[in-house]
Amino acid sequence: MWTTYLNSLHESMSRRVAMVLVGVALLVAVAFDSIVHLHESAQGAATIAVGTQPPVAPAIAVPAVLESEVRATGSVWLLLAIFAAAPLLTATLEKGWLELTFSKGTARWRIFAGRFLGGLTLYSLTFALATLPVAARLWWITRVETWQIGVALLIQTFSFAALLSVAALVTLPQKGVALPVIAATALWVLSPSLAKRQETYYQLFSSHFAREVVDWAYRILPKCSELEDLCVSFIQSDKIASWWPVWSTGLFMISILGLTLWLLRRKSF
Amino acid sequence: MTSAAIEVEDLRKVYRGFRARTVWALNGVSFRVERGTIFGLIGQNGAGKTTLVKILLGLSESTGGSARVLALSPRNNAARRRLGYLPEQMRIPDYFKAADFLRYMAGLNGVDPRCLGRRIPALLEQVGLAGIHKSVRAYSKGMQQRLGLAQALINNPEVLFLDEPTDGLDPLGRKDVRDLLIRLRSEGKTIFLNSHLLSEIELVCDEIVILNKGKVAQRATPAGFTRGTGEYLVCVATASDPVRAAVTDLLGGEVVWRENSFRFVPRNLAQLNCVLDRLRGVPVEIESVEPIRLSLEEFFLRVVAEQGS
Repeated sequence: MWTTYLNSLHESMSRRVAMVLVGVALLVAVAFDSIVHLHESAQGAATIAVGTQPPVAPAIAVPAVLESEVRATGSVWLLLAIFAAAPLLTATLEKGWLELTFSKGTARWRIFAGRFLGGLTLYSLTFALATLPVAARLWWITRVETWQIGVALLIQTFSFAALLSVAALVTLPQKGVALPVIAATALWVLSPSLAKRQETYYQLFSSHFAREVVDWAYRILPKCSELEDLCVSFIQSDKIASWWPVWSTGLFMISILGLTLWLLRRKSF
Repeated sequence: MTSAAIEVEDLRKVYRGFRARTVWALNGVSFRVERGTIFGLIGQNGAGKTTLVKILLGLSESTGGSARVLALSPRNNAARRRLGYLPEQMRIPDYFKAADFLRYMAGLNGVDPRCLGRRIPALLEQVGLAGIHKSVRAYSKGMQQRLGLAQALINNPEVLFLDEPTDGLDPLGRKDVRDLLIRLRSEGKTIFLNSHLLSEIELVCDEIVILNKGKVAQRATPAGFTRGTGEYLVCVATASDPVRAAVTDLLGGEVVWRENSFRFVPRNLAQLNCVLDRLRGVPVEIESVEPIRLSLEEFFLRVVAEQGS
C-alpha cells in the first residue's frame, strides 16, 4: 500500500489539475496573508485589521480570520480536490495499466486503497498549504492559539474522504473520470439542502413517505455542509457541538469504501 | 518441486451478456506446462487465449475447473510474486522514467529495494534501454515494449507470461527477444508465450497448444507438427517434355509440377527409391529430393480448418 501511496503522490504532481490546486493554495495563502494587518492601538495594545474593517483585539480577530479561511477554502477545496483526486482512482483501472499492476503480488484492494490515501493526502496537503501559513503567522504575531485550524483540517479531510469514497465506488463499473466526479459533486451539492430539508424539500413534498425518503437520505449521505459548520464552531469555541455529522459521515465513508474494496477484490477483468 | 509450472484442468469461463446471452470463452480446457520449458499458446482472435492468461494471472475468475500456477491458486499474492507478465495492450503512464517505473513494479512484487540498485541498470542493459533517461512519453512503441519486458523480469520470476512480446519490435529486436527467451529457459524459467507471430513461436517453443472456440484443438511439439507430411519434393535439372512424360508414365496423374520440381506422395520408402532409380535410368538428372514439412502456420491452419472455425 505504501508503494502505491507514494506512486499516487508522484502521479498527482505530474497532473496539471493537482499543480493548479497547489498554485491556488499558494494564492489563497498569500491573499489571506496580505489582508491581515497588525496595528497598535492608542493604548499600546496590538490590534488586527482584516481588509478594510476596523482593527479589533487579536482574541476576536484571529478566530474570525481562521473562520473566513475555512469558509473560503473549505467547500471550494472539496470540489477542486475531487477533480484532482478522482483521476488517481480511475487511472488505476485503465486498460493496459491494471493488467500490469493487478497481476503483481500485491492485493488489488491495497493498490486501490493506496491511491485513495494518496488522494486524501493531496487534499489535506493543499488545504494545509492554503491555511496553515496564515494561522502560523497569526499565532506568531499575536500568541492567540490557532491550533484549531488543524482540527478543522482533519474534519474537512474526513468530509473529503466520504466524497472520494463515492467517487471510488462509481469508478468500478465504468470507464472515465466524469461519472465519479459527478457523483461526488452531486453529494456535495445535496449536502446543505438535505441539512436544511425542512426549508427545502419539505416545501416541495407534502407526502409523509417522500419526507421519510428525504430524511433517510439525509441520515445516510455525508454531511459535508454540517462538517464545515462544525469546523467554524470549533474554531470559535474549541468545542464539538455535535458528533452526529462526524460519526454518521464516518460510517458512510467506511461502508462505501469497504464495499468498493470488496467489489474490486471480486471483480473479473 | 516435481509439480508442473502451470496446471489447467477442465477450465471453463462463461461471459453472460445482455438478455442472458452466454459466451463460452473457455470450455473445458486442460493442459500442463512443465517447468523450464517455453510453451506457446496460439489461436484465432476470440479463441479464449486472453481469457486463459487473465485467469492464470488472477485477473479474472473462472466459472469452473481449476488453474494452478506453481502449485498455487493464481489469486494467491505469494504465487503472483513469482510470476512476470507482459500484457499485449500495455499502458505505462507517461510521467514515469524507466528506472522509476521498474522500481514501482518491483515494489508491487515485494522485491527488496536494496537489490534494485544493481538489478535495474542490468535489466535496462539487457533490454537495450541503458543510458536513456527521458520519460516514457518520449518512448517509441518498441522502447515501451522493451521496458514492458524489463518490468516482467524485475522480480526474477519463475514463470513468465508474455503476450505478443515482439509486438512493435524490429527484426533485430525480435531476435534479441528470442535469444533472451532461450537464455531464460536455460536458467530454468518457464515461459508462457501467447503470440500471433507463429514463426516466432515455432522457433522457440518446446510445446504448443492451439486453442479454438474455447477448447484445446491440438497439442503438439515442434517435432510433431514439422514431421514429414508424407509428400516429397523432387527437383530436376531440366523439366523437358521427355522428362515430364517419363515422370507421368511412372507416377501417373498424381504428380504436381512447378517449374523444375514436382511433388508426389510415395506409398513407402521403397517406392520412393524405385521411382528415383527409374528416373535416373531415363535419364533424368535429379538435383535434390526432400520431404515436405509443415510450418506451424500451415499446421495451425490445417487444425483450425479440421475443427471447423
